[in-house]
Amino acid sequence: MMPETDADLTRRTFLAGAATTGAVAAAGCTSNNTGTEDSGSLSGDIGIAGSSTVFPLSVAMRKRFVEEHENVDISVQSTGSGGGFANYFCPGDTDFNNASRPIKSEEVDQCSGNDVTPVELKVATDALTVVVNPEADWFGEDDCITVEELKQIWSAESKPTTWNEVNSDWPDEEIELFGPTDASGTFDYFIEAILGEETAHRTDYQSTEQDNQIINGVNRSEYAIGYLGFAYYSENTDQVTALAVDNGDGCVKPSLETAKSGEYAPLSRPLFTYVAQSSLTKEQVAEFAKFWVENTTNEEVVAGEVGYVPNSESEMEDAMSTLEDAIDAAAN
Amino acid sequence: MAADTANEFGQVSRRVGIAFRYLLLASTLVGIVTLGFLLVYVFNDAIQPLSADPGWHLTFFLTLVLPGLATGWWCLQRGYATFTTGLVGFFLPVLASLYSGAIAALFIDVIPTLVWLAFVVAFAVPVGVFAILQQPTVDLPFLANVALIGGSAIGSLLVIPGLIQSFPTVPSGWVVLLITLGLPASLLLARNLSDRWGQRQGRIAGLVAFLAVGAAGPLGTATGFGAIPAVVLTLFAGVPTALYVAIVVTERPALRHGLLLPAVLVGGSLLGAALVSAVGFAGPESWVDWSFLTSTVQSGDAREVGIYPGIVGTVLLMFVVAVVSFPVGVGAAVYLEEYAPDNTFTRIVDVNISNLAGVPSVVYGLLGLGLFVRYGGARSGTLIVAGATLALLILPIIIISTREAIRSVPDSMRQASYGMGATRWQTVRNVVLPRAFPGILTGTILALSRAIGETAPLLVIGAAQVFGVPDSWSSTIGAMPLQLYVWASTYASPEFYTTVLAAGIVVLLTAMLTMNSIAIFVRNKYQQR
Amino acid sequence: MSGDRSTEGLTRRTENSSRELLARAFFFGCAALSVVTTLSIVVLLVFEAAKFFAISAPLVGVTGETATITEFLTGMEWGLQGPNLGVAPLVAVTVMVTLGSGLIAIPLGVGTALYLSEYASPRARSYLKPALEVLAGVPSIIYGIFAVAYITPALSTFFPEIGFFNVASACVVVGIMILPMVASVSEDAMSAVPDDLRQAGYGMGATKYDVSVGVVVPAALSGIVSSFILALSRAIGETMAVTLAGGSLAREFDPTNIGSYLSLLDPATYLEPGMTMTAAMIQLLTGDITGGGLAYRSLFAVGLVLFIITLVMNILSDAIARRYKEAYE
Repeated sequence: MMPETDADLTRRTFLAGAATTGAVAAAGCTSNNTGTEDSGSLSGDIGIAGSSTVFPLSVAMRKRFVEEHENVDISVQSTGSGGGFANYFCPGDTDFNNASRPIKSEEVDQCSGNDVTPVELKVATDALTVVVNPEADWFGEDDCITVEELKQIWSAESKPTTWNEVNSDWPDEEIELFGPTDASGTFDYFIEAILGEETAHRTDYQSTEQDNQIINGVNRSEYAIGYLGFAYYSENTDQVTALAVDNGDGCVKPSLETAKSGEYAPLSRPLFTYVAQSSLTKEQVAEFAKFWVENTTNEEVVAGEVGYVPNSESEMEDAMSTLEDAIDAAAN
Repeated sequence: MAADTANEFGQVSRRVGIAFRYLLLASTLVGIVTLGFLLVYVFNDAIQPLSADPGWHLTFFLTLVLPGLATGWWCLQRGYATFTTGLVGFFLPVLASLYSGAIAALFIDVIPTLVWLAFVVAFAVPVGVFAILQQPTVDLPFLANVALIGGSAIGSLLVIPGLIQSFPTVPSGWVVLLITLGLPASLLLARNLSDRWGQRQGRIAGLVAFLAVGAAGPLGTATGFGAIPAVVLTLFAGVPTALYVAIVVTERPALRHGLLLPAVLVGGSLLGAALVSAVGFAGPESWVDWSFLTSTVQSGDAREVGIYPGIVGTVLLMFVVAVVSFPVGVGAAVYLEEYAPDNTFTRIVDVNISNLAGVPSVVYGLLGLGLFVRYGGARSGTLIVAGATLALLILPIIIISTREAIRSVPDSMRQASYGMGATRWQTVRNVVLPRAFPGILTGTILALSRAIGETAPLLVIGAAQVFGVPDSWSSTIGAMPLQLYVWASTYASPEFYTTVLAAGIVVLLTAMLTMNSIAIFVRNKYQQR
Repeated sequence: MSGDRSTEGLTRRTENSSRELLARAFFFGCAALSVVTTLSIVVLLVFEAAKFFAISAPLVGVTGETATITEFLTGMEWGLQGPNLGVAPLVAVTVMVTLGSGLIAIPLGVGTALYLSEYASPRARSYLKPALEVLAGVPSIIYGIFAVAYITPALSTFFPEIGFFNVASACVVVGIMILPMVASVSEDAMSAVPDDLRQAGYGMGATKYDVSVGVVVPAALSGIVSSFILALSRAIGETMAVTLAGGSLAREFDPTNIGSYLSLLDPATYLEPGMTMTAAMIQLLTGDITGGGLAYRSLFAVGLVLFIITLVMNILSDAIARRYKEAYE
């Protein structure tokens, strides 16, 4: 064996030094392993999909909830009420489905086929708004349009190409149309309220699930018309004009008050969220559902920040008791 | 090039020729100038430089711009190499800091350090088994080796993570990083520097690096900067910079004056910052500020929103995509170039790959949707699905660029290796791949930078519009381009377009341009070989 | 494949050791994966699209809404409410975007390639080529945002009646996006033309302009044309820019009427919104992703059409480059 060289000494010293440092560091800077999360706080995933109308409301609720419960991961998608039911909620992929119209019977069937029980919670009231460009001046002083005229503009049978085909006082210019896609609850509700079940909705319009695109499109084109949820209008009152709707009893402008009182007919409508009963066994889902229902009366959020009519106290209590019954049922 | 000899001949009617030349120059510049305008617009909207006090501009002009230009010009006078040394010395810490910020975000928000430790230990076991089997005293047949390594890998992955996570006392966050990242890095450093400088120097360097990273932890906690960010920053930015400076000073002393440039630039910015905060000049009301980069708020309010979930999502996706596509892509290219016989199957695969490279990204999204979500049963919009889909997307690109790199290895080297009796695998491993490695690296970085800019596949596989920071394989994930799309469509308002969206574009472009620059730098540096 | 024949003898002895076989199997698996990917794409698209068409739906056990192939190819409208399932309106707008962007990218791209290969000094080239690479590297979502935020307002100063969504700004940004592709492939083709040809031209007294246009371009023509086809196929597959900029209006288009085809050349239609195939796919996604509904199936049907078109164009471009390539060596 060769005698120890300088290199060997240096190597041994180095290794010894590194090992000591490491051990000291490891020993001195340890912490108690309490598991990967605090046992006290909520955690987990929540999946929300559905109506683009209710989307901003659920995003606002999510924001406040996540401020208090940082470890809960909530994802939200704006797919349209029908799209959400058919493709996320009933197959069991999401916990909540937002809807701007009540659930249909075939959707209930599809859900029950997958053992998903929807629990209906009313979260707000909306005034479905018809918007036109601010320069559109042919609607008279009160910016009024009748339900008949609306029906004619949007029906697949008449499909007018210019404004004056509907009303001879109106200009001879091409109508540009913006609206939600057929997966949207707003779309379904508009058909039910204005067109009626027998009349089909025309297809040659710019359809989008992103309501802000409707605002942008109508704002940029003088001869455009569109319809969307009130919240999107109320954020952009300087970009577009809301038409007052005449249902036979005079022209009524959409607003939180007229929607609440029901005066703005036939386009005031309730907004819902449906939670899967089996999801309520997850603590974070139940907590979020309760949080949301409690806050449906919160004017600052619902009316101020988002732009819908908050629930009244009794509506909120109804929803809360439905929810609590469902939570109990789920636990058993 | 043909340009040189033409002038002697072109005496006939020069007007058309000159007009033509300028027409061509104009057409070349149209696209570039248009993009330049758009970028200037976007940067102006995002950073709002004109909203700063004139005094702010003046201060930085005097402390940063003028000295920087002067030093740069001085370096250029001493030689182009000095200048590039200075540039590298500046961009290395800057870019490294950016990327270490992203990595720190991973360790803070996504992967608990305990889980990281558990998996590192679990992987270390088969590596240790491998090292033992390499010893000349151990001589088992090849298949037995494979079985042992495979078995130990499976065993340790099953047992160890659970074991470690149930320890009552565990090292705290930054210590875990020190042990799992700092220690191997220091050892690697020591070994490489021993080759260059001699054993003693190399080991001292390694030790110094280790101690520096170790010291960063308590220092970070003490100053409130955070232990984990401090450790990550020191390890990924501080150590490489120090290494570069040391190498320049000791090995290329003629170029060391180039290091004055980064010193002046960094010193100048710090001095300028100190001055403006002391005097109270207002800086620009930039939309790309700390709160934008770290906020997780998702809403329609332009002042509150942040791109942090997008950044974390992009970084995670990049790692997943790299880990999946790099081995498979390089493996396929190696097969096609080294092993494949010249028959119809190979030709079909050839044509196949170049067609795959031309398939629109939406169709890849459909593939991911159908294969992984619908028939594979994974939840839509999750990390695994997104990562797998993007990996498939860039696989053809990696294969093509790796093939180019392998093809550029001269055949004579292969012949020499075979002539010495090496097997095909030995030739590939020891001759071809090391030589082609820079080209492979360039191609991979470019492919990855393409992957992080893709939006359509993410939309098709069902990514959510409002998402948080992911924390597991099956959590919904987002990415920066997806976030931009959501802002551009769901929250589309003219206000958003010129503020938050501009800021988001700046962040995404910075990430992509830095990656592309690194790739081009690697390519240029190794092209001289 | 490198040096296979000559080294076959040298490695034959060691080929069959288990280590070698393992390595070979691993690499083969990786290569096979690429074939598996293509097969999966084709099988998936065909299978899911089969659920969409009336003749094939019963074969795969689907009983929902379907469309006949005639309906699909000749229908005048696209909208799921009818359902009106004619794909022609979508293809028409795709053609509009391709034409418009080609009009921008092809002349500019060839000009760029010509300049870089014939006129530019090496120093200029070292600045311009990276700049073009940057152009190519910008993600399409960013181009889409540029289109809406900056290009449409710029266009509206020239054409005040332009809508918020319009095909023209989509054409502009897609043109800029595919320009580098035309430029770099054409430039490769032009650089590959041997210098002897140019010298011969100069020797006969031609000017540089004559040589460039009369000698180099025809010699590199196959590569240039193949670059056009590649770039146009990229334009067809482009998604994000056209989705953001073009809007979501599925215009009526009658494939049996010549007049409709002529309207594609009418500049006024470019100022209006339009939905391409890719934009329609994005729109279908918001409704239907995992269900077996009509939207999901039409997603794959449109996807299949898109895949076939781009595949054919890629093969065509490859064939042209190879078959008509002048061999000078």
